[in-house]
Amino acid sequence: MSNPTVVRTRRRAFRWSRRDLPGATMAAPGIIGLLAFVAAPFLVAVVLSFYNAQLNSPRSPNFIGITQYSRLFSDPQFWRAFGNNLTFAAVVIPVQTAIALGLAMLINRRLRGISIFRALFFLPVIFPMALVAVIWRLILSRSEDGLLNSLVHFVTFGQVGAQDWLGNSATAMPSIILLSIWQGVGFQMIILLAGLQEIPQERYEAAQLDRASRWQQFRYVTLPGLRNTLIFVVLLTSILAFRVYDQVYILITSGGANKAATQTVLYQATTSVFDQNNLGRASAITVVFFAIVLAITVVQRRVVRQESEA
Amino acid sequence: MNHRKKAGASVVAVTAAAMLLASCSSGGGGTSSAGDGTGDVEVWAHQGKDSEVAALQDAVANFNASQSDITVNLTLVPEADYTTTIQSTSASDLPDVLELDGPTLANFVYDAKVAPIGDYVSQATIDNASAGNVNQGTVDGTLYALAQFNSGLGLCANGALLDDAGVTYPDSIDSAWTADEFRSALQTLAAANDSGYALDIKENYGLGGEWGTYAFSPLLQSAGGNLIADNEASGVIDGPESVSAMEAFQSWLPYVDPNEDDAAFVDGRVAISWCGHWMYPGYSEALGDDLVILPLPDMGTGTKSGAGSWTWGMGSTTGQGTAAGAFLDYLLNDQNVAAMTAANGAPPATKSVLASDALYSAGGPLELWGKQLEASCNADAITSDCVTVLRPLTAGYPVITSEFASALSAIATGGDVQSALTGAATAIDQSFADNNDYQ
Repeated sequence: MSNPTVVRTRRRAFRWSRRDLPGATMAAPGIIGLLAFVAAPFLVAVVLSFYNAQLNSPRSPNFIGITQYSRLFSDPQFWRAFGNNLTFAAVVIPVQTAIALGLAMLINRRLRGISIFRALFFLPVIFPMALVAVIWRLILSRSEDGLLNSLVHFVTFGQVGAQDWLGNSATAMPSIILLSIWQGVGFQMIILLAGLQEIPQERYEAAQLDRASRWQQFRYVTLPGLRNTLIFVVLLTSILAFRVYDQVYILITSGGANKAATQTVLYQATTSVFDQNNLGRASAITVVFFAIVLAITVVQRRVVRQESEA
Repeated sequence: MNHRKKAGASVVAVTAAAMLLASCSSGGGGTSSAGDGTGDVEVWAHQGKDSEVAALQDAVANFNASQSDITVNLTLVPEADYTTTIQSTSASDLPDVLELDGPTLANFVYDAKVAPIGDYVSQATIDNASAGNVNQGTVDGTLYALAQFNSGLGLCANGALLDDAGVTYPDSIDSAWTADEFRSALQTLAAANDSGYALDIKENYGLGGEWGTYAFSPLLQSAGGNLIADNEASGVIDGPESVSAMEAFQSWLPYVDPNEDDAAFVDGRVAISWCGHWMYPGYSEALGDDLVILPLPDMGTGTKSGAGSWTWGMGSTTGQGTAAGAFLDYLLNDQNVAAMTAANGAPPATKSVLASDALYSAGGPLELWGKQLEASCNADAITSDCVTVLRPLTAGYPVITSEFASALSAIATGGDVQSALTGAATAIDQSFADNNDYQ
């Protein structure tokens, strides 16, 4: 069993009671895991970002101070990539959440065969992003036989010619946003559906007795009832949106996507380290990116909390 | 207490970082040893086409059956991840024998991941290797790798479509199309084809990868530019010659089929394909006598083409030098080189097999590419007679290829040529400056 002396001294220093021990013991594997696999690598990245470190080189890295950071901040490519991240997040977070809510309300009905619709809307979530990117490469193909180009040709009676959706800097990012929403929306939909089903039916009945319109029911019953679920979904979508990488990597490397218009910060970090062995620069990129995303998340949480207090 | 926690965390961080740095710096300096010539030999190779894999597996099985002292164990790694796998494996974990992509060799020598093979491979094997083969495998005067095959690059054309459109085409290295002739040929061919396209540049491979550098850096060199000269990229990769070559490349793009299905050429949607030797077997089967082999366009100083391919070296910490050398001797003998080149259509990289090769020797269908390979040179010594140029033999090659290919894909999506190439030049020069020119 455990050593009682240790427990007693600890209790004095940290004011622990004996009953905290099982909790601490059970939390320990998780905390150790977090330290070893999240905190430690990140701190190593901070240290490495001050070195000219080459991936797996026999030469020892040399200290170069803040050079990597000063280069990064004066590199238009980095800011362009970060701007792409922001554009992606700014569109995907509201649009994907709204569509997910709409879909969740659509399939939250007691209809014969509704589970088939639920499964169909959820299906893209099961597909790996690599597969989705490869399929959408065919849809967005710039050739006249590309699926989207054929559709546009048909709908406009041939008035609009073939477009290079991924290659054109104006349509490349919207294309990536579109396929990302298509792939990811089912996940948020399922969470929101669960939230919808938690709302007691009596509230709607009461609203109907008060002759509330459909819109009023949505505004004053559904939305407040979904509040916590929505906050969770928005946070989750934000984190996933900033992490966007797979589809960008695949479409740039093999889909002819416009690199300047679609590359993200994570794409730059992985290219630096795996194509160019530049571990120091990749570390600096991830540190800067972490700081920015952390700041955005903190602000987001603060805004949400203020609303709940009001 | 909060303070103490922070101090504790930073101690953890510094220790962890120190450990990581230490592990970074302990990787190299490996020394190979001869061993007693018996026992297991670990071999890593890239997983290429099925026919190539079969040829390699046969070679290993036959070698194991032919003697009882040495057992070769072959591990295949998917092609797309192969170089990254070697890059991220520390020297002590690398196998006795490993396959390498030619232009990455200098970087692996720099990182002390490969051993000189001159002491372990027999002199007869070295003497039989073609000049380009030895050239590719030599870094700073020491031989580190030898290949079974070289590579051929040019244009594959559909003779029937060219004739129908009334386009005349070159039949020798000296009569290669100029950039303008090539563009007007593309224009005519695109107008004559229902698809509206004339050229396939294998966009499905991804221009941002090694294909981009291998296939299109010869255009820079043909225009009189280059990727790098005297460890300096500024004024070279973004000099006026290189820019003009890439602007010409950009002007061809309206005629380029996106080729998502990799069938643009065999389906007749385009008349011309930017063509590596590995495409020849499939094209030849689909087109028969209509297939014609042409040199790449001449951008000003004569046509230039690519060379170099997968090659074989030894891990720097191998304790099985003699046994590994015996396996390489076997792999590079006539029987196995012939089997491999029959499987992938590549030009053999040994003198004896090349002389009797049905494809590349005089009178063969790929004679033109065979001649191209005879006029071979290094990227730092390009002459007007030279046709095939090896990619730069420098440890900084990973940065050069990554930056050029990424500039190429920006150019291919309509980006400004000068700014894309200048961006690449700046990044390459920065990396060379940071790493003492990779000396």
